[in-house]
Amino acid sequence: MAAASVIARRGKADACAAAITAHYGVTLPTGPRRAASGDVVFAGVGPWRWIATAEGADAAEFVAQLRERLVFVAAVTDQSDARLVVRLRGPRVRDVLAKGVPVDLHPRAFKAGDVATTLVAHIGVQIDMLDDGPTYLIAAPRSMAGSFWSWLTASAAEFGYDVSRS
Amino acid sequence: MRINCPYCGPRGNEEFAYLGDATVRRPDPAAEDAAAQFYEYVYLRDNPAGSHRELWYHGGGCRSWLVVTRNIRTHEISDVAFADAGDKP
Repeated sequence: MAAASVIARRGKADACAAAITAHYGVTLPTGPRRAASGDVVFAGVGPWRWIATAEGADAAEFVAQLRERLVFVAAVTDQSDARLVVRLRGPRVRDVLAKGVPVDLHPRAFKAGDVATTLVAHIGVQIDMLDDGPTYLIAAPRSMAGSFWSWLTASAAEFGYDVSRS
Repeated sequence: MRINCPYCGPRGNEEFAYLGDATVRRPDPAAEDAAAQFYEYVYLRDNPAGSHRELWYHGGGCRSWLVVTRNIRTHEISDVAFADAGDKP
């Protein structure tokens, strides 16, 4: 999955939002939400900061194009090789996540399209809720992938789980 | 203790780092009494028994600097705001 951080430059927040709407057809979220257009997603991870991702895209190409389109309005940094991304789905997913995620994932508090940056087992993660399946996407730093995987598999063990590559 | 981050919502204090007094301002180094002002700025702090404005960093979340108004006697938090007033860049 191609990924890049996007940080609006001083005085350029509106220009950055306008450029992204013009090129990708999405309205940039101002809070911790995600906005998708096809395979391209902009997830709010902080004030005037987003993580842009593109499923199935060539990482170098996607980031270079994003940087070119946002030149002078945002700082774009390639994160494609920086993250382990897992997609979790199943009826007991919330029970698994409840063992380490400090954010309330109850459907009333955290809905499809919501994003949270938080700590799981001392590891900084980005959690996106994709749909009411429920399906969650969790991104963790690559250097912490082993630790995160250890927490995830230990937490899921009592329910059973399948792992597949996408 | 939970801090209601203006970007992320309520989060546990393990996600935050405490810096200190949010009311002190760096003095003008060109001022005539700069040395005395810097001595006060660097070393001297009030220790109020009550409401205190303090800087917290949400490093485990949105990476924002926040100004938290907290009652030091009760830990009751009455206000949380972006340190830069959430200024749109």
